[in-house]
Amino acid sequence: MSVDLGQLVLVLLFGLVPIIGIVLGLNSPGLRSRIPIWVAVFAGLIPILAMYVPKSFLSGPTGMSQRLDDWLIILAGFALLLGIVNVLQNNLRKIARKESGWFFSVVLLAGLFVTGGAGIYGALTKAGIGFNPDGSSTPFKYLTDWFFQPLQSTIFALLAFFMASAAFRAFRARNVEATILLIAAGLVMLGRVPILEFLAVPFPSLHSTAAGVSQAMGKLTEWIMDVPNGAAQSGIIIGAALGAASMAIRVILGIERGYLGLGRGE
Amino acid sequence: MRRFLERLLGLDRRWIFLFVLLSVAIPIIVPIGLPVTTTESTRKAFDFIEALKPGDTILISFDYGPSSAPENDPMAEAVMRQCALKKIRFIVIALYPLGGLNLANNAVAKVAFEFPDLKYGVDYVNLGYKDGASAVMRRMGDDIAGAFPTDQKGTPLARLPIMKGIASVRQVKLIFTVATGIIGEWWITQVHPQAGTPVIIGPTAVSAPKYYAFLNSGQLVGMLGGMKGAAEYEKLLRARYPEMARFYTSTHDFTATKGMDGQTVMHLIVLLFILLGNSAFLLSRRGMTR
Repeated sequence: MSVDLGQLVLVLLFGLVPIIGIVLGLNSPGLRSRIPIWVAVFAGLIPILAMYVPKSFLSGPTGMSQRLDDWLIILAGFALLLGIVNVLQNNLRKIARKESGWFFSVVLLAGLFVTGGAGIYGALTKAGIGFNPDGSSTPFKYLTDWFFQPLQSTIFALLAFFMASAAFRAFRARNVEATILLIAAGLVMLGRVPILEFLAVPFPSLHSTAAGVSQAMGKLTEWIMDVPNGAAQSGIIIGAALGAASMAIRVILGIERGYLGLGRGE
Repeated sequence: MRRFLERLLGLDRRWIFLFVLLSVAIPIIVPIGLPVTTTESTRKAFDFIEALKPGDTILISFDYGPSSAPENDPMAEAVMRQCALKKIRFIVIALYPLGGLNLANNAVAKVAFEFPDLKYGVDYVNLGYKDGASAVMRRMGDDIAGAFPTDQKGTPLARLPIMKGIASVRQVKLIFTVATGIIGEWWITQVHPQAGTPVIIGPTAVSAPKYYAFLNSGQLVGMLGGMKGAAEYEKLLRARYPEMARFYTSTHDFTATKGMDGQTVMHLIVLLFILLGNSAFLLSRRGMTR
């Protein structure tokens, strides 16, 4: 019988080590908090090593890194479950205490159960959550098409009204920086859409001039987006990436422990 | 004058709301047909797909929800139509949890209806939704079946002719992510550097500025920025394939080209309000300093 080295190491690191840690941690609180740190260290180091060490047990099709990716997908599913439990807890408490707006919690939970129920029904009947074989909609798809989609679109569409109102009230040339921002925004707004052509619609003699100016505005807009915006975005992205990398190193080295939810001194 | 300025600065926001409503609704009901100029990033995206050969396979990832569907839907549909015309195969997935799958299902059903010759499993396939976007992407970098063992109908990937020779995203010629948030960026930062597969993105206008950095660095082949990008793509598509006009001149369906009419009037209204607000603000400030 061949032994899968990667699988064996994973079982050791993520199965035996935590179990031993839990057992020993019953009498040692310090050890109990150290075990999750070691799990995080292993989980962080394996994908990095897999990038640099071309060994099949580490980076092969069924290597440790690939198996960790599979686990990550499963864990993401459980995170969804955790979210549902959290929504349930918060809203049931709100309803039980009759806090202000408790009725909205009832509507939210009704939506959760009805939609979730339709999804589970689709899974049990093997109809799924898309179209039935005859082309009709499954209950889940019906709910998504006629409730979820219009509601989400409506909420987002409201932004247009508030943005226009905010632009009128808050977008002011109060200082030099705000004035530069205002001018750049105005130029981009002009250059992204054919406003001049729209204004020239009643005046046929101005059509070609409007088109020419609009094209020049479009080029200026592209330059603003490409050069000053592109440079600033590069800086922001590189800065954020360096921040993320240093945070990852802190987690892998066990310096950053905030994710454990430990109190001070634990 | 001072009273007028004060009244202008204290304008009831409901007037602004009314102007916004009219500026969006009227051009949708009565289209103006304003011209659309194309930008380099959209042309690059179009030319890249045009350069693919019949039988090549691309991956289309629906990474957006209903909130940005008017911007993103036309992009996805336009690219799928181009693929159908050029006999390019496309694999559809959805990674956005809030309705991405439903939008993918609707768009695929629409294009499949428009092109009855397309064969499911041969010319296109819908692998459905999987939670954990970045983890799924990483898995697809090595093994698509590891992330999506079956298609949405439950057929194992090994039984689908389209998946023959496509084990991972390294074998697809292009990843087209139609994105509303961070998921689109992950294709560029996590999949492209490791798998080497070219990426084209169709982001919302709000998130488009960020992607210029990736365009400049060569990590992106092209971009369809917001509704304008989608309208540009529709224009390029109609120019290259005149038979596509039937999809874009119909009064029945919404297209990005039609949406641009409303967006143009809306931009004009917002610009006017900014101008009015600033004029009143500067005049009132000058009055106060006197």
